Amino acid sequence: MTEGPLIVQSDKSLLLEVDHPQAVECRRAIAPFAELERSPEHIHTYRVTPLGLWNARAAGHDAEQVVDTLLTYSRYPVPHSLLVDVAETMARYGRLRLDKHPTHGLVLASTDRPVLEEVLRAKKIAGMLGQRIDDDTVAVHPSERGNLKQALLKLGWPAEDYAGYVDGEAHPIELAQEDWTLRDYQAEAAESFWHGGSGVVVLPCGAGKTLVGAAAMAHAKATTLILVTNTVSARQWKDELIRRTSLTEDEIGEYSGAVKQIRPVTIATYQVVTTRRKGVYPHLELFDARDWGLIVYDEVHLLPAPIFRMTADLQARRRIGLTATLVREDGREGDVFSLIGPKRYDAPWKDIESQGWIAPADCVEVRVSLPESSRLVYATAEPEERYRLAACTKEKVGVVRDLVARHSGQPTLVIGQYLDQLEELGEELDAPVITGETTVKERQRLFEAFRHGETGLLVVSKVANFSIDLPSAEVAIQVSGSFGSRQEEAQRLGRLLRPGDPGPDGERKIAHFYTIVSRDTVDAEFAQHRQRFLAEQGYAYRIIDADELQV
Amino acid sequence: MVQVGRTGNDGAQRSGHRSLADQLRSWPAERVAQLLTDRPDLATPAPHDFGQLASRAASRSSVARAIDILSRGEVSVLDALVVAVETTRTEIAQTVYADPSFVGATVDRLLDLALVWESTEGLRPLSAVADCLTGGTESGVSGLRPRSAENRSVARTAELVASVSPGARRLLEHVVAEGGTATAGSARVGISPGDETSPAEELIAHRLLLPSGDGLLVAPGEVGLAVRGGRTTTTPVDVPPDIAWSERPVRLATSAAAGAAAEAVRHVEQLLEWWGHRPAAALRTGGLGVRELRSAGEHLGLDNGGAALVVETASAAGLVATRADVDGNPVWVPTDAFDSWMELDVAGRWAVLARAWLASPRLPSLVGERGPDGKTWNALTPELSSGVLPETKRMVLTELARAPEGSGLATGTGLASLVARLAWLRPRRPRTRADLAAWAVGEAGRLGLTGLDAVPSYTRDLLAGADPVPALAALLPDPVDHVLIQADLTAVAPGPLLPDIARSLHLVADVESRGAATVYRFTPASIRRALDAGWSAAETHAFLESVSRTPVPQPLSYLVDDAVRSFGRLRVGVAESFVRSDDEAALAELVHHPRAAALGLRRIAPTVLVSTTPPDILLPRLRELGVAPVAEASDGTVRVGVVEPLRARAPKQRVAAAEEARAAAHAAAAVRALEEGEEAARSRPATASSPANALSALRDAIERRADVLIAYTDDRGVVGERTVRPVRVEGGRLTALDPSDGEERSFPVHRIGRVTPSP
Repeated sequence: MTEGPLIVQSDKSLLLEVDHPQAVECRRAIAPFAELERSPEHIHTYRVTPLGLWNARAAGHDAEQVVDTLLTYSRYPVPHSLLVDVAETMARYGRLRLDKHPTHGLVLASTDRPVLEEVLRAKKIAGMLGQRIDDDTVAVHPSERGNLKQALLKLGWPAEDYAGYVDGEAHPIELAQEDWTLRDYQAEAAESFWHGGSGVVVLPCGAGKTLVGAAAMAHAKATTLILVTNTVSARQWKDELIRRTSLTEDEIGEYSGAVKQIRPVTIATYQVVTTRRKGVYPHLELFDARDWGLIVYDEVHLLPAPIFRMTADLQARRRIGLTATLVREDGREGDVFSLIGPKRYDAPWKDIESQGWIAPADCVEVRVSLPESSRLVYATAEPEERYRLAACTKEKVGVVRDLVARHSGQPTLVIGQYLDQLEELGEELDAPVITGETTVKERQRLFEAFRHGETGLLVVSKVANFSIDLPSAEVAIQVSGSFGSRQEEAQRLGRLLRPGDPGPDGERKIAHFYTIVSRDTVDAEFAQHRQRFLAEQGYAYRIIDADELQV
Repeated sequence: MVQVGRTGNDGAQRSGHRSLADQLRSWPAERVAQLLTDRPDLATPAPHDFGQLASRAASRSSVARAIDILSRGEVSVLDALVVAVETTRTEIAQTVYADPSFVGATVDRLLDLALVWESTEGLRPLSAVADCLTGGTESGVSGLRPRSAENRSVARTAELVASVSPGARRLLEHVVAEGGTATAGSARVGISPGDETSPAEELIAHRLLLPSGDGLLVAPGEVGLAVRGGRTTTTPVDVPPDIAWSERPVRLATSAAAGAAAEAVRHVEQLLEWWGHRPAAALRTGGLGVRELRSAGEHLGLDNGGAALVVETASAAGLVATRADVDGNPVWVPTDAFDSWMELDVAGRWAVLARAWLASPRLPSLVGERGPDGKTWNALTPELSSGVLPETKRMVLTELARAPEGSGLATGTGLASLVARLAWLRPRRPRTRADLAAWAVGEAGRLGLTGLDAVPSYTRDLLAGADPVPALAALLPDPVDHVLIQADLTAVAPGPLLPDIARSLHLVADVESRGAATVYRFTPASIRRALDAGWSAAETHAFLESVSRTPVPQPLSYLVDDAVRSFGRLRVGVAESFVRSDDEAALAELVHHPRAAALGLRRIAPTVLVSTTPPDILLPRLRELGVAPVAEASDGTVRVGVVEPLRARAPKQRVAAAEEARAAAHAAAAVRALEEGEEAARSRPATASSPANALSALRDAIERRADVLIAYTDDRGVVGERTVRPVRVEGGRLTALDPSDGEERSFPVHRIGRVTPSP
């Protein structure tokens, strides 16, 4: 028995003791094949999943290395069945490979004939394949490259894709590092992606994913299609690219509801790409509009299902996915793996935070009690009305006012779900309100004002959840959310974690994240769900009663 | 050339014995006791005297049992002794194709087992041996016939065989290869050399085939030996097949085994704790239904096969049994032995399971397979067992323990080679042995008796009858007395917890992940459970602080206080089943709860509700609705209820070790009884007149090939005496040769009054 930092559980979770002298070393060793599930203060939980093991295979690790790592760092005997399972799972990757055949084009080849026979007999796959070339090779319809990979993954025989990429139309792109430099982990992430061909880079909010995208473009030096979540985020990408790369305004096009430009580098929103009229996607032509050499997917965990389908047809082009988390609320992690690519780089929040790139946060849950009258209304309400009733209680307004007063002088965001509530808060606090109804122009003006300190307080709806840089925000007050979404919590916290300049005393600012919830209601239950996510990310939080606040 | 007797450890006379009984009489008590231990059927019921013991040892059923425990090499030696009819140690060593020392040792063992005895004329197998030696060469039987009475040496016979025509020789070889008998057909049997007209007649004329009546021809033993070059077999018989090994580093194998051992203990523990609260329905036939097995598997994270092994092992260890539930239906629940088992440390618990498994004839690996009647086997079905399984398990482990340092059973070829070796060691076991051995290997791996198919030190201790606990305990993680509580409301015990801490934690938190470490999660419901069990807020805080190595996170303290705040807000009365609360809003909430309609709640005062539902149903329903009521007794005090887990009485276990001790005691007692019986027998006249003694005397005469004088009542009721040479006793009839004419006659044993050995 060694005194290692790792405990291997029979349910395939790995417990890593953070304070152990070998912890850092061990983390590095297990990161390629285990997904970080929770990272609270003392013990981090990783999980060994088939996808994780296949990610590791794709990155060139073999089962022996994985088993050796487990045995080396494990404190206790490792369950035998787990080792066997690791070896078996990893052996499944790459039995099948997609190759480019000199005469037959795209082919599916195998070194293990029974496996090939097994998948050939699967109904879902039969339609994607052409004629049998020899015992070990079968032709594949080029258009089915992505669908086939997706289907094979579902069967548990993920194929390795050796069919290569088209270079796309060349276009000179350089990073313009005059007054700044790429951070080490950003360079490393872009490097890992480029060597892997395609794949996903996982970095926390505020860690500079846009720059990783830019660095990837500088590697590709080809025309690029960038898919982002919304228009505001598209503008930010554009600004950032102009500032950080050799690209000029004329070379970057925006393809959104308002503008439809196609230029060497084109930024499109998910929404416009997935717009459907009379059963067809009118903007699908975008993908064929140019000979793209690189496709960038921002916020992969939000990628809508139709884009997955479109991506299936783009397998010959290099793809990079950027995200803060591989966890998808819809559980389609496998599609990300097979269609965009395996995970190429990953760093947990806390690590990057301790390097000083993102701000530390102080998370507080403030509990308010519903007044007697509201409780009765709440108790008799229909279940679907309950959350709204609980979340929008008037009690919260007072608490928000107290908190805003307490942090006066610090840039503050008040974030909520329900427009009525936001309007009311806006009036009460005399602050501008940004919702989905606010025009893009107005939004940008307000965000700009907030960034420059002209406005110290904004009330925003969920439009602010994604990809809007408000680096100056120091305080966020959450009054309601979309039920128990973990993603949303991550995004909202992410608003605060952009590093600001150190204050005059050289101290880095501490972000404050308040959530106000109604006690003994579904609001508290949802809050618990979301906070669990924060705690699992290593952000300890406190719970206080609203009465304590006034003291 | 007479070289009889032996220089064994008993110092028997050099000149042999008059009968098997005499030989047994000459043995020291320990040797007799060993015989009774090796052949336990001889000792039950205890024989009166050595005559009876010898008689019993010579009976066919007992001989067949004794041969069952011989290896193929030993059977080959026994077979050669049968072929030789009567022989010397030197001669038998030459006849068996094996190392002479192996033959010598085997002869000693056969003597110890009383399958062979030393007469004054030489070594003789018991007469029943020949009948019991069935099966082909794979069982160690050469297929040669016993030697004829013609007293020809093998060398001389060989010359004779060499001299016959090639056709006759081919025929002879064929007859020998096919079991040594042939039908005479048209060949004339009474001819002399020179008159033959066919190869068969040529062989008959040279007396290489002997007529044996019924138109059969027999190639006697010396002819068979001559054809096979002087030996009963053409290949060596003393070389057991080797097992294929592959490299398995000791550290890794031991660690894998210990990991599996801890895992097995954890599984039993987890399942039975669960069954203690939620008993599994038993089938009418006594087994465990497929659905119950599957849900057990889901609970443990195992497939059905794994779950069946856990269930069967727990049952073999007496930790689970059936009892009637409240409705009178049979259910499987842990026994009270489970509670004392839980008091042991992990290694101790494992030892209980391992011993039980080793001695268990149960076949969990068959669960889910279809039986002969086409129905699937259920776990815990009484019929699901095989008598030879315990022996197979022990042999499998013993053979695996022979592996060279740092190696284990080879992947792929290993199992087949192991089965081949078992077939050599016990050639007469049934064909299903290959399956049994494969199951034994698989189950041993899952239970941690082996790791990577290599046998760790603690299992060696177990096999040797020593205590495996110290060696295993050294490999298992030390128990820890603390947990790490984190802000996400989980607590991680970085090793097995001390039992009392584990019990308390189980109460106050839910288990989320098991393994060497345990992850607990605190939820409002789990805290409430502790409060339900009578814990106070202060106690809960104190407990958490005492077990946590790190400061208790603020959210957890808040959670506890919050649970306490809402705990007991509602109180349910016993007499009328009422719900009262000072909190009017809470009552309103309850009355208006959409799922509370079935409870028949009615508000009778701002702070009191009444219900038509009895409190024992009402309480859980209310808890389901998310409120935390406490029950109130009729005098207004709070009732605190801890649900006692269900227990059944442990079934009586047949413990292998106790069984062995009993057998040893039995053997010793039998030996003492024998010696006393012998005293009595000595004072009796040589004539046997009681039926039991008469039978012994007849068997004795068969083995001695001696004449006896029997008093026989014939069909007309006339008692006459006659001298006969008994050949066999079977089915109540004595077959004997009449020395006057050499004819075989048959006598019903019950008509034989007296048996007097001829002088």
